[in-house]
Amino acid sequence: MISKVISGNEAVALGVKLSRVKVIAIYPITPQTYIIEELAAMRDKGELDAEVIRVESEHSAMAAVYGAASAGVRVYTATASQGLLYMHEMIWWVAGSRIPIVMTVGTRAVGAPWNIWNEHTDFMSERDSGWIMAFASTPQEALDLTIQAFKISEDERVFLPMMVGMDGFILSHTKTRVYIPSQEEVDSFLPPRKQPYVLDPEDPVDIGNMFQPIDYMKFRHSMHLAMLNSKEVIKEIGKEYEKKVVPVGSYSSLNESYKLDDAEYALVSMGAWSLDAMQVVDELRNMGVKIGLYRIRYVRPWDEEDIKRKLGDKDGILVLDRSVSFGRGGHLYLELKATLPDVNIKGVVTGLGGVAINKDAISSLTKKFIEGKTDGEWFYPSEVEKVELRNPRYIK
Amino acid sequence: MSLGIRDILNKPRLLPGTSACPGCPENIALKSISMALGENAVFIVVAGCSSIIQGMGPKSTYNYPVLNIAFAAGPAAAAGMAKAFKMRNKNIKPVVWAGDGGTADIGFASLSGAAERNDNILYICVDNEAYMNTGGHRSGSTPFGAKTASTPGGKRENKKDLPLIMMAHHIPYVATASVGYLHDLMEKVKKARNIEGFTYIQVLTPDPYGWMFDPSKTAEVGKLAVQTCYWPLIEYENGKLTISQESMHCLDRRTRKPIEEFLKIQGRYKGVSPEIIKGLEEYIDKMWERIKSIYEGKVIL
Repeated sequence: MISKVISGNEAVALGVKLSRVKVIAIYPITPQTYIIEELAAMRDKGELDAEVIRVESEHSAMAAVYGAASAGVRVYTATASQGLLYMHEMIWWVAGSRIPIVMTVGTRAVGAPWNIWNEHTDFMSERDSGWIMAFASTPQEALDLTIQAFKISEDERVFLPMMVGMDGFILSHTKTRVYIPSQEEVDSFLPPRKQPYVLDPEDPVDIGNMFQPIDYMKFRHSMHLAMLNSKEVIKEIGKEYEKKVVPVGSYSSLNESYKLDDAEYALVSMGAWSLDAMQVVDELRNMGVKIGLYRIRYVRPWDEEDIKRKLGDKDGILVLDRSVSFGRGGHLYLELKATLPDVNIKGVVTGLGGVAINKDAISSLTKKFIEGKTDGEWFYPSEVEKVELRNPRYIK
Repeated sequence: MSLGIRDILNKPRLLPGTSACPGCPENIALKSISMALGENAVFIVVAGCSSIIQGMGPKSTYNYPVLNIAFAAGPAAAAGMAKAFKMRNKNIKPVVWAGDGGTADIGFASLSGAAERNDNILYICVDNEAYMNTGGHRSGSTPFGAKTASTPGGKRENKKDLPLIMMAHHIPYVATASVGYLHDLMEKVKKARNIEGFTYIQVLTPDPYGWMFDPSKTAEVGKLAVQTCYWPLIEYENGKLTISQESMHCLDRRTRKPIEEFLKIQGRYKGVSPEIIKGLEEYIDKMWERIKSIYEGKVIL
């Protein structure tokens, strides 16, 4: 294990290489492009023993890795924003076939209006597709979760694809110190690929053909059970990863708690700004407010039991969302409300389209919440109360 | 070329009891193609009739591995598969099986991408000239004047010249075939199967229901399409175009069978105006002029 100052994108590319991926489909979209460029360069230099397919769209990127994975090799691709939405059809096809695949999503706002900056709406819009969905908060975690993702996805109790989210620019382009495991360490953790269905003329199987309604529904139920099973698998694999690969960071639980035990209030967040939220917790603790943080690392599976255990007794919970379901509020807020219907939960949708949310902003939002000056769900910043559309006119 | 049909007939790749309609040209094509392909092939079937002919999972009438996939995704999935087999040192050919809708329309970007990369796959377009699986909606491959569910008055645009478009991708092999001439089809498949790189075969598959003819006449319609020169049988290999024996007579207008013989056997052109027939004839003439100029080396692709 060595440590280096690298960006989130570089960390992910290294994680993919160390996982001995065999086929990679690449198509550029900001802010993940550097990952695939780096992988293509590694392939050119002979450092990576993989085939790289330069596809003509994200739809094809997911189709290409799906085809390759069905033929029995470990695969990888990355995308963001419009690209993820363009892949949407194939994302479902992969999950429904129970084919293990790993993908990175460098999260980014979705147009219109055109916007290249960070938010989580692209990522959250795939939460019903049957993929395992983890979200990193540091470049280190992006690397660690990528390597773990192969093992989780290829576990026989799971056999679902997995995507790892990473805040666009904030993590993808920011350089921090990252511990990079050696090939031997990763090899000791990650066994050769295994999968339930492989296309092979010696043992012909059909993948994805027409099923009767009841058989289709049974298959959907099997995906539901696999998603539930994956909770234990993720913890088990996380612990093994800590032991065999990188002994920094903690992966023994799906989500992370910070100063929650004696807390009366809790913040809930996901992604890079969770680290700012931790500082806010420290700051408020110094002022005598008993508050803690619960950081969501896995959107799917959703760790309902842990959330009930850690947050069920709180006087108030504030959920920070970087995504929105229009007319309903932030996705995490909605999930929390459904998990803890009797707890006082407020939610704030903020940081959309790259609006900068720093420690001070989170601090002022939290204070406002504790002082009880908030409704159930609100947007921040809200200096512009309303966007006035042009006067409508009838068109001849 | 010897096909060695006796050997391959012993190992049927299309099992009895498919869910195909009576007289289904795709059933005929599938049976022939899979025999010509031999054992080391995997099919990538995009949305269409062939997803239904296969029957209900978990059983299947296809006696080879199949990846059923979304409409626009076939060539890309096959490209990934080709790379995976290469990494596993397996000599297995990914074969995409797609209709004309999946080829000319929704899957066109993916097709063009895989051709440009010269991925090692065989792409077979079964051209029944409309979205026959969803009720006979027109496609980019429906010919001028044909009546379909969405062009009840006859299509106003010409058929997209896919073989020519594929030739312009400079891939190693492009061919056309018809279910009227199965030996020709099988020979072409056998040849393509052994070529490294992107190969493309477009098979005319006249559909009894969409084209409105008696299901016993599928092969006859497939033959008439060739004899009247509506459907050329050609091959394009290493930059050189050849005309298959069955279509050689089309080079001279005078030796072509009248187009009416092809049109009157089907319902798609029933009651259409003489102008439409004329428009279709003009298209066929121009198509043969193009083929001739490439064949004679006047135009180099």
